Amino acid sequence: MSKRTLPSQENSGEGLPSQLTHVRYGVIVRPPYYRWNGERFESAHLVSVDSASVASLPGQIDVVVEGNFVGVVAESLAAARDAAKQLQIEWQTIPHEPNKTLKQTLKHSEKTGSEVRSLRYQESQAGVSAQRVYGWPSRMRWGNHPGWVVADVGDYHLKIWGQTTTPLALQQDLASLTALDASQIELYSLDQQPMSSQVSGLGRHCGDDAAVDAALMSQALGCPVAVWLDARYTQDVVALGQAQRMSLKAELTDSEIARYHYRQANSSGEVAAVGLWLSGRATEPAAMPETMPETMPEAIPEVPAGDSDPTPLSASVLSPYVFRDQHLSARLQQPGQTPSSATLVGIQQAFARESFLDEVARDSGQDPVSLRIRHLKDARSIELIESVAKRAGWQVPLKKPADSVPQDLLQGRGFAFAQLPDRHQRMETGVRSAWIADVAVNRVTGDVQLTRLIVGQDDGPEVDTAGLQQTLQERILGEARPLLGQAPGFDEWGDGSDAPERGVEIAPNALVKRDSPAVTQTKTSSLRPAPDDLLTGAELSPGVAVIANALFDATGIRFRQPPFTAKRVREALKASTTEGTAQQRLAKRATGRRWLAAAALTTVAGTAVMAWPWKSTLAPVARPAANLYSAETIERGRLVAAAGDCAACHTSEGGSTNVGGRAFETPFGTLYSTNITPDEATGIGQWSYAAFERAMRHGISRDGSHLYPAFPYTAFAKTSDTDLQALYAYLMAQPAVAAEKPANELSFPFNVRALMAGWNVLYHDPTPFQPDPMQSELYNRGAYLAEGLGHCSACHTPRNAMGAEKSGNAYFAGAFVDGWEAPPLNTLSQAPVAWSEGSLFDYLRHGESALHGVASGPMAPVVAGLAELPEYDVRAIAHYVAAQMQAPTGNSDMDVAGAEQRVASAMVSSSGMEAGERLFEGACAACHVETGVPSFSRASTSLALNTNVHSDHPDNVIQSILGGVHADHVPGIGSMPGFADSFSNTQVADLATYLRARFAPDKAPWQQLEKRITDLRQPHHNNTHSTP
Amino acid sequence: MTLKLTVNGQVREVAVPLNTPLLNVLRNDLALNGPKYGCGLGECGACSVLIDGMAARACVLPVSAAAGHDITTLDGLSQNGQLDPVQQAFIDAQAAQCGYCLNGMIITIRALLNHNAQPSPQQIRAALEHNLCRCGTHVEILQAAQRAVVINAAAQQEALNE
Repeated sequence: MSKRTLPSQENSGEGLPSQLTHVRYGVIVRPPYYRWNGERFESAHLVSVDSASVASLPGQIDVVVEGNFVGVVAESLAAARDAAKQLQIEWQTIPHEPNKTLKQTLKHSEKTGSEVRSLRYQESQAGVSAQRVYGWPSRMRWGNHPGWVVADVGDYHLKIWGQTTTPLALQQDLASLTALDASQIELYSLDQQPMSSQVSGLGRHCGDDAAVDAALMSQALGCPVAVWLDARYTQDVVALGQAQRMSLKAELTDSEIARYHYRQANSSGEVAAVGLWLSGRATEPAAMPETMPETMPEAIPEVPAGDSDPTPLSASVLSPYVFRDQHLSARLQQPGQTPSSATLVGIQQAFARESFLDEVARDSGQDPVSLRIRHLKDARSIELIESVAKRAGWQVPLKKPADSVPQDLLQGRGFAFAQLPDRHQRMETGVRSAWIADVAVNRVTGDVQLTRLIVGQDDGPEVDTAGLQQTLQERILGEARPLLGQAPGFDEWGDGSDAPERGVEIAPNALVKRDSPAVTQTKTSSLRPAPDDLLTGAELSPGVAVIANALFDATGIRFRQPPFTAKRVREALKASTTEGTAQQRLAKRATGRRWLAAAALTTVAGTAVMAWPWKSTLAPVARPAANLYSAETIERGRLVAAAGDCAACHTSEGGSTNVGGRAFETPFGTLYSTNITPDEATGIGQWSYAAFERAMRHGISRDGSHLYPAFPYTAFAKTSDTDLQALYAYLMAQPAVAAEKPANELSFPFNVRALMAGWNVLYHDPTPFQPDPMQSELYNRGAYLAEGLGHCSACHTPRNAMGAEKSGNAYFAGAFVDGWEAPPLNTLSQAPVAWSEGSLFDYLRHGESALHGVASGPMAPVVAGLAELPEYDVRAIAHYVAAQMQAPTGNSDMDVAGAEQRVASAMVSSSGMEAGERLFEGACAACHVETGVPSFSRASTSLALNTNVHSDHPDNVIQSILGGVHADHVPGIGSMPGFADSFSNTQVADLATYLRARFAPDKAPWQQLEKRITDLRQPHHNNTHSTP
Repeated sequence: MTLKLTVNGQVREVAVPLNTPLLNVLRNDLALNGPKYGCGLGECGACSVLIDGMAARACVLPVSAAAGHDITTLDGLSQNGQLDPVQQAFIDAQAAQCGYCLNGMIITIRALLNHNAQPSPQQIRAALEHNLCRCGTHVEILQAAQRAVVINAAAQQEALNE
């Protein structure tokens, strides 16, 4: 179901190259098992494909089968996806070790270090030996942003429109796919620009795999085929695993490194595209020994280097250092393998070597910089490193954050150095490059910020310092992006359909504090890789290592394979038990609470006594500096705030955003929302993150007093740590406004805040959101947003006499808020035409659904808030709500026909209600009746389809007649004037009765309308609902 | 907040709150007094204008909703100094008493003819059902509408021949 709700660009084919007219759409079906094991590709074998299983589907559908490659091509992406789902395929899985996935390999290699540390080499008496394995992924990530990849294969040409960072490797793959000459293969970006042949990333991404998939299908069918590249290709990233494994070993005697071994365990070269392997067109590498053992394999001949000769004998392994007894080796490229770009090889080598030296130094308690200097003979290198270290203040310890600053940032500093040969393979005239980076790691979000970066570079005789720094600065920024990229998850924001913007995740200012006055002019406008902003310079090779080393300094965790995504950092931090983190303390507290709750349920009277834990005041802090959080985190927080619609409640009419003071009528008295701007005296400026989190999850204010559940902490407790942290960052970055809120006017005993402790024990479950593994990612994302931040149930679930949301069948059963009915969002829905997921999406995204009408009343600002969210999130909410309603994905023909039937039968006026009919004809019909004249201002949805007219309660109809419908939130949706000043209560009642009879003829008439109208006309009407 | 409106073929910029009724902007800011203020509730039709050739009640339409669309008022209905056939028909039939409703009547018939060049008398009546006239000129208005159908068809034929 989830796959059918596609972002519009996917649906419409928008963004395809305009000159391609007969594009068809392809979807690949990967085998249930396939992977690259470092040496060879293995996969489940295709036994049979039953093309007849898709024959019944409408439109032309072709199934492309070659080897183990299966693709389905149709006239639209949605049709292809449906067909792919329906296609019957039989696979024969070969026996394999399922634990050898990328993740496992990663974990293993990250573990290897500590395990091997105990495996001392006995033969060396005095020395300490160390051995580490580093990895480099075959695919850095699935792509830069979601988008089309189109292939047009002819007899003498092949054109690709798509995205790649490794055009040469892609070209090579396509050449072996089609046997065309490289000159006949043209690569374009989607905006028609020919692609440069230069490498612009840190490795291949799945844009290449998608291109080969598209080319395979295009060649088979003889027409252009478009493939949608998005996070689904992550499966290829996982399956292709590591491209390169680098084993390093050394012994340390008296601070001197000896017996240094560097070995590239895998044969060098790029891992070909998945489609090439599956189709069997890739050349299998020559038979090699089975997978490499984790320890030093003896099967590979070593080339010992002379003691005094620093030049490595293997030209492909370079090291600027001089170690006694060093062994450098790399496996040669296999025939048929795509050559790796020299730049990437250099970066991989520098990453492993510089990480390893850092580990050796830190394990033996030495300074990483002096350790390196001791093993350098080149005076220029030493001079460069010393000057960089001095300029960076390497010896000065990092200023650790003071106690008053939130403790969630871990800071660290790292160093890396590289020297690369010039193009004639001469080391001495090559570039030397020394880097020092400071990072700040957010322990909750896993966000890594490069807070300072100093790069010293020796670029041979002619040095254009300013220009070089400028270039480096740009490249550093460009390079930092893939390193700090994010992987999708249920609490990740955005589907990437806005990815070109999201690519600018980190504002350059937040990312790098420019240390050099020469680089005052920097491009803050865009981080997008400009065509000339390419990673061509070998001098960038220490970039990955320096971040890994700084990350280790900050967190104590060694990352031995890029990329260092926030998700990976977060998971590693969680897994590490080095110190009691905030989450662990919180988890303990949460379990203690649950025990209390279990005990308290025995007697209600006992509850208050037992659950009287006194909540301490959390110390006030100085307002955190605005630049403490990255622009990315703050932007994420803005989305979190939009999803939670904070401003809707925390802004009074005509007041500034989030200063509070809005009154809430409850059955218990009047409550006023609080000031949540970072004003220190009247807002939350002195709140630490711990205090903020406690309020959001447990409903306890910073001063220890209890908050009332009008503030839906019962829902917000489900929010992930990452989102809460981002929300905190966002709120703290807003302008502070001083404003006292009016005192609450609650009746006894509700004015005793401490009683809320007992309430919480009974009704509040502070456990964070748990995704349901049986449900799709889309469902879980929707559940996360709807149950947590979106707090849908705060309005749409009825509350008990104690003001707590009821559970079970009552979940989403509809309720009354501020004189409006929040209609049921479960199977109790009274909508005359059943809701579908598509209708829900239209309603939530655009404020209007053709079969249901417009969002109004208190739902209007909610829709306005949702407009801020990425489309995927709104789809997810619609998907989740549809599941609660057991609603279908789309509107069936039967539903549409039923709707037309209802509209047609309501064309005729009901008889016997002259008063109501006259009012309707005079006041309403001009816009609500079809007259045969096309009208711009007519209500687009007939009242015969209006849920409110069909509800058991007349409240929303009365509210709409009295106050009108004002859809300021979505321009273009009509607005209806209110008739409160024109109609008497009797007239409104007559009109409502007439509307009910004419437009909801299958429903019983409403009773006691005049009384209800009188109630709703009161500015402070009570909030209990009417009787049907 | 500055909005760009396309009114009678011209782009006009107005600085008004987004929820101002379009009628107020047309009459007060752009001095286009063809559309009249009647009930203010969208009931009488005196305020009608054409938006993308469709009838719209300008008194209940927020100006923001009209941005990006082609607005035509009675003032802009004539082409090259020549009255619109519907205007001409109303003059020919002398279908005015006080004339306050005529803007809405003319605009509505224009919208009807844009959609259906040969409406039946019943269709004309249905189209004008929600345009109120308090002088009782309904018979003349219906005659004018019938005549408008004829003149309009002739004008279209003429335009085709040229």
